[in-house]
Amino acid sequence: MDYLKCSLYEIRQMLENNEISSVELTKLCLDRINSTQNLNAIISTCEEQAIDAAKKCDQARKKGEKLGPLAGIPVVIKDNINLVGTKTTCASKFLENWISPFNATCAQKLIDAGAVIIGKANMDEFAMGSSTENSAFGVCRNPVNEDYVPGGSSGGSAATVASFQSFASLGTDTGGSIREPASFCGVVGLKPTYGRVSRFGVVAFASSLDQVGCFTRTVRDSAIMLNVLAGEDKKDMTSAKILVPDYEKSITGSVKGKKIGIAKQFFSDALNNEVRANIEKAIKLYEDNGAEIVDIDLPSLDTALAVYYIISSAEAASNLARFDGVKYGVRAKNFSDTVDLYFKSRTQGFGKEVKRRIMLGNYVLSSGYFDAFYRKAKKVQKIIRQEFETAFEKCDVIICPTTATVAFKLGEKCDDHLAMYLNDIYTVPVNIAGLPAISIPCGKVSNGLPVGMQLIAPHFKEETLFNFGDFYEKHAKEI
Amino acid sequence: MAKINIEEARKLAKLSRLEFSEDELKNFVAEFDKTLEQVATIEKVDVSKVSLIENTLKSDIELRSDIVEPSFTQKEILANAPEQKDGAFVVPITVE
Repeated sequence: MDYLKCSLYEIRQMLENNEISSVELTKLCLDRINSTQNLNAIISTCEEQAIDAAKKCDQARKKGEKLGPLAGIPVVIKDNINLVGTKTTCASKFLENWISPFNATCAQKLIDAGAVIIGKANMDEFAMGSSTENSAFGVCRNPVNEDYVPGGSSGGSAATVASFQSFASLGTDTGGSIREPASFCGVVGLKPTYGRVSRFGVVAFASSLDQVGCFTRTVRDSAIMLNVLAGEDKKDMTSAKILVPDYEKSITGSVKGKKIGIAKQFFSDALNNEVRANIEKAIKLYEDNGAEIVDIDLPSLDTALAVYYIISSAEAASNLARFDGVKYGVRAKNFSDTVDLYFKSRTQGFGKEVKRRIMLGNYVLSSGYFDAFYRKAKKVQKIIRQEFETAFEKCDVIICPTTATVAFKLGEKCDDHLAMYLNDIYTVPVNIAGLPAISIPCGKVSNGLPVGMQLIAPHFKEETLFNFGDFYEKHAKEI
Repeated sequence: MAKINIEEARKLAKLSRLEFSEDELKNFVAEFDKTLEQVATIEKVDVSKVSLIENTLKSDIELRSDIVEPSFTQKEILANAPEQKDGAFVVPITVE
């Protein structure tokens, strides 16, 4: 029995039936991380803590105690999520020795649910990037084909689940950083509604857009994870005071009578033909099973990327101003005074892409440009959000590709940051509007690389994503 | 459309507390112009009828009560300090 290939749902049953212990399973996962080190999906493992947690879980199970929904299951979290006693580097030289004195709420929720956190995943530095090539700890490789990028910024979180090192992982998504790597690695990636999951303890990139989500191998597993992660948190005032349903129960097995919105703007000439064909087949499958297709219009979609880069960079510049080499992080060796200490520490600690975004952020916030860029971007954000709200008056879910192409080769876009930015055109609008979305595997193209289908739902309607996603997953072999 | 010159880039670097070599700065200006071209796509959008939203999603943000609760110890907070002395962070002398 290859336990590592099981879904989270399946392995949970096996643990419950005592077919395997959590300690055995945790060791299998840690061995797998070691034997697939070439992927560079993990920045650091927390072996001792993990084995200890697994032992406690096994003992509690033996005693017949009531266990949490993720009891004994090995998971990985992105390295921008604080976990007590572990390094939280954000894949930056600046934080290479930073040891978390506290748990992020999402990490605490995993622990409370019994999960065994085995490692911290590689990522683009401070979550800025779409390929996990901007990591101070080396590039991460795509498990499907190691010559290709895994996507980013949560590339390590996607790769760990795709390469069977863990059963689920946490990532963060500011402009597509969960959905794009999920699409590139052939796994399920969920970006919940802004406010659905607490951001407390997650190192901020762009606070009004960041959202914690998860990677899994099935849609049902994603629902199980969100059941654990969702909910209001007193420590994050942007977390929503909205009832959390049982997401697993939202999977009904039927899409009959449901309406799928299709926006022509998501199917422009920029879309790769093979990707388009796969998505169209999936839409047809829904239609053949009783769903209705409706045309919707999102006329301002082409401005979303600009809005994203203005708002996210402005917030990043502000959030990253705290990194000054005084209280934590890298401190430069030779400096003349305090201000020089800031200059030198920041210059040595941050990578190129982070510097680029700080500069852009300070530019759009500086006097003379604030109205033309930042204030205007906030207004266009409102227009985009309203267009989605209007669209959802006509449909239950919007379907589109997650990315215009499949994964690209390592190094292919490194010298062209704009081409890299354009990679996010289908994912960014979702963050701009604060909506929930999921990327699910949708076949492959001729070179064997996976395609991702993106499902977008109205605010706090993650149930719809799980129901539609699970339906496709179960029926995909029919096409 | 906005463009940036090397002097503005230098000023921006100073505001950002970042140092660049002259060559890095020149490259940056070229890249930055391309980025500005992309972000300038919002220029065409008519926003005359849009009032600014300050918050993306919620208008009913609640602050939690100001109650003293156990927090970090001095030792925990100083554990990540690049340099510390007598329970304090060490910084360069700022006042002679």
